[in-house]
Amino acid sequence: MPKVKMPRSAPSLDMTPMVDLAFLLVTFFILTSSFRAPEPVILDPPTSTTEIQIPKQVFLVMIDEEGRVYVDITNAAVKSKVLKQIMSEFKVPAMSEEDMNNFGGVGPVGLRAAEIPAFMALESTDRPNYEQKGIPYDTAESKIKTCELYYWAYLTKIEAHNDYKQREEEAKLKNMEFDKSNYIQFAIKAASNAKYDKINQVIQIFREAKVKQFQMITGLESAPN
Amino acid sequence: MAEIIQQSSGGDGKKRAKKLSTRVDMTPMVDLAFLLLTFFVLTSTFSKPKVLRMIFPEKLDKNNPQVKQPEVKNGLTFLLTKDNRLFYYNGSLKADNPPVEINYRKDGLRQVLIERNAPLIKELKELQNKMAKVAAADTAAKNKIEREAKDAQQKSSLVILVKPDKDATYENVIDMIDEFLITQVAKYFVVDTGFDPLERKMVDEKLNQ
Repeated sequence: MPKVKMPRSAPSLDMTPMVDLAFLLVTFFILTSSFRAPEPVILDPPTSTTEIQIPKQVFLVMIDEEGRVYVDITNAAVKSKVLKQIMSEFKVPAMSEEDMNNFGGVGPVGLRAAEIPAFMALESTDRPNYEQKGIPYDTAESKIKTCELYYWAYLTKIEAHNDYKQREEEAKLKNMEFDKSNYIQFAIKAASNAKYDKINQVIQIFREAKVKQFQMITGLESAPN
Repeated sequence: MAEIIQQSSGGDGKKRAKKLSTRVDMTPMVDLAFLLLTFFVLTSTFSKPKVLRMIFPEKLDKNNPQVKQPEVKNGLTFLLTKDNRLFYYNGSLKADNPPVEINYRKDGLRQVLIERNAPLIKELKELQNKMAKVAAADTAAKNKIEREAKDAQQKSSLVILVKPDKDATYENVIDMIDEFLITQVAKYFVVDTGFDPLERKMVDEKLNQ
């Protein structure tokens, strides 16, 4: 009896399209995601039904339930500039240029100006362990214009304007369309159970710095029908 | 799934160039790709947070007495206080017009707001219906309706004051403002002066009951 010869072939599958797809998705996620800088506090903001998106660039003031204040500016260049002016305003010895530039990327900070050089001198892995006590603010009539938070707000407002003008000019030179929505706006993100009193003090400081319009960051809630 | 290259051993002694397979085993690469993919899917957050827009007037100059408080005819004042408790009163506070306690829920706060804001809600609804009938390309008509809606909001007589005291939380205030958005209240102000002495006294009486 003749032997029936079975064709011997290894079970193989062409995986190339699958790899293509997987890498396409990986590329998509890499390009669309932006890494969040580590935050010194985790806040749980209240929810609302509004559908307005957060502006592209913000000066963010975070307020935790104890009333401690942390700030961040999403534009690293502007943040470094503001820091430089705050350092000279409060006569803090200058830091290295490198630390100054790195400051733009460290995420929200709640430190007195005097503490910042020591904080920046730490390795980036040790920074989350540094205890941040919040930026001092005092809204008593005589002190409101000398508190550190006021300087943050005031200088950011000026630098935001400069940054906007600068980009507008650059766009004009290059003959490109200018994205007007890219203006640094003021935003408050506070814990649900923070006392309104504390938020009100921050608002007073904003008003003192001639910031009239700002955003309250909230979580999402479905609209009622 | 790795491919097994079968060696055909021809025993005829002839020297032949070995035919090498040009196929590459892709399995590790797929593993890597999916590992990265999973990482990015899990770490990325899709929904950006939303914001409530707030506009506060510039600080009043205390040395300038010309600025007068506007007279409020159809006013409603909300007093936010500790333990998420909420009181409100109509017009001005008097002994025979004491603050009434309500809750932040749908059957409390929203009901009151819908009742009080009924004229504006109705007007805006009519304009919305009109808008639906307008052809999509007719921007002139659309702009006109939008202007009318703005006018209606401007003319609305209901003015709401929100007074949080030092024990009210941020969530209370945001909940209030959110309700105003839902019920289309056009004019509301968050007051930063806290309670008046009379408001304090009457609310304290209610709280201590």
